[in-house]
Amino acid sequence: MDPQHFISSGIIELYMAGIASEEEVRELEAAMAQFPAVAAEVEAYRRNMEEYIRLQGRTPEADIKTSLFNKINNEPNLQEGEPVPDQHLQQPKVVSMQETKSLSWKWLATAAAVLLVGSLVLNYVFFNRYKEFREYKDKYQSLLVSQNSILSKSNLYKTRLEQMQESMEIIQDPKVLKVPMPGTKAFPEALATVFWNPQSQEVYLKVNKLPEPTTDKQYQLWAIVDGKPVDMGVFEMGDTASLLQKMKVTGKAQMFAVTLEKKGGALQPTMEQMYVAGKIPG
Amino acid sequence: MGATLTYTEVELISGLLARDEKIFTYLYDHYSPALYGVALKVVGEEAAAGDVLQEVFVKIWRNIDRYDASKGRLFTWMLNITRNTAIDSLRSKNHKLEQRVQDVNSVALMYEPQLAVHLSVDHLGLTKVIEKLQKDQRIIIDMAYFKGHTQEEIARSLEIPLGTVKTRMRNAIIQLRTLLKQL
Repeated sequence: MDPQHFISSGIIELYMAGIASEEEVRELEAAMAQFPAVAAEVEAYRRNMEEYIRLQGRTPEADIKTSLFNKINNEPNLQEGEPVPDQHLQQPKVVSMQETKSLSWKWLATAAAVLLVGSLVLNYVFFNRYKEFREYKDKYQSLLVSQNSILSKSNLYKTRLEQMQESMEIIQDPKVLKVPMPGTKAFPEALATVFWNPQSQEVYLKVNKLPEPTTDKQYQLWAIVDGKPVDMGVFEMGDTASLLQKMKVTGKAQMFAVTLEKKGGALQPTMEQMYVAGKIPG
Repeated sequence: MGATLTYTEVELISGLLARDEKIFTYLYDHYSPALYGVALKVVGEEAAAGDVLQEVFVKIWRNIDRYDASKGRLFTWMLNITRNTAIDSLRSKNHKLEQRVQDVNSVALMYEPQLAVHLSVDHLGLTKVIEKLQKDQRIIIDMAYFKGHTQEEIARSLEIPLGTVKTRMRNAIIQLRTLLKQL
């Protein structure tokens, strides 16, 4: 194919427009290398196309230029003219590798910074939680102490309540005889009561009013059975005195009396120290 | 165009390689209208075209050392960068959405006589070419040359047979050359 034929074949027009087939492009480029006239003609076409572009040129807004030059002057990597990956330019592989390298380094630095900040935040949060926890621990311990004291008090009350209930049951039992023991002539203010169940033979004592004895002495209850005093045991004073105190058992008695004896009780009652005495009613 | 240049192409390239801002300013002042026109034709609206133009000049500044003078003139190289950057921008998802709305207006507007004038080209010259080049000839050239459409895409878009695309393209370019020679 001679150069003139190429020029008039119409391939150059398609080549210029960018729609020539791969085969046409190969043919034309081979002809351009072979015939300077073809190369010159292609270049003439190219200049025409570029002239067509220039005809349609439009002056861009001035701020685009300002912004462009700001960008170039203010970005350090732009000042140094660092290449960026661009698929339209040559050597994209090398550039993208460099970019990946520096990117991954930057990425690591960013990640490290983010992790550090995250760690600091968590430190702060957990330290605050720890402080709160310590406060709660103190509170918890004081609550535990007060709960224990409430519990022991509650147990105390429970015991008291049970004792009272027990006392009530005894007092309310119709089989139980109530034996009031008023004060003797020597101790007219004194008063005590015996609750006696003749069937079960159980005997309970309630101190209504007796003076607190010295530490070496104790009150002792006696049952008078057929004219003879029978020991029914010593009893406590103080807090215990407010409750019914279980004494020794007896199935027979005509009378009950309390004397003040040496600690632990006596074999025979000291008649001068008789505080209270009462007959079985009926 | 050559007459208006005060730098030769070799001077321009070596200045750019040396990151000479004076040369870069000159380059911008002389080539931005043409490149902006290309970007505008492809993306169809001024804000996006402005972004493309800026991106193009940043690429030129960064990558001038990859320009190979043996493969073509500087302007051809810059033109390719502009076309590709603009087409990429057009293809980016966000832009596509806006573009659908824009297309209707911008296609019509683009074929109105342009008001802005390039430094070296007078308005009359442009008008002369525009008037004499038939509208369908301009459209077919622009679709291929600016927007990079394939023959198939052009055939589908203009609703003409595939074989007709080549013939029309050839005639359009021949007509364009004839008109340009008359300027």
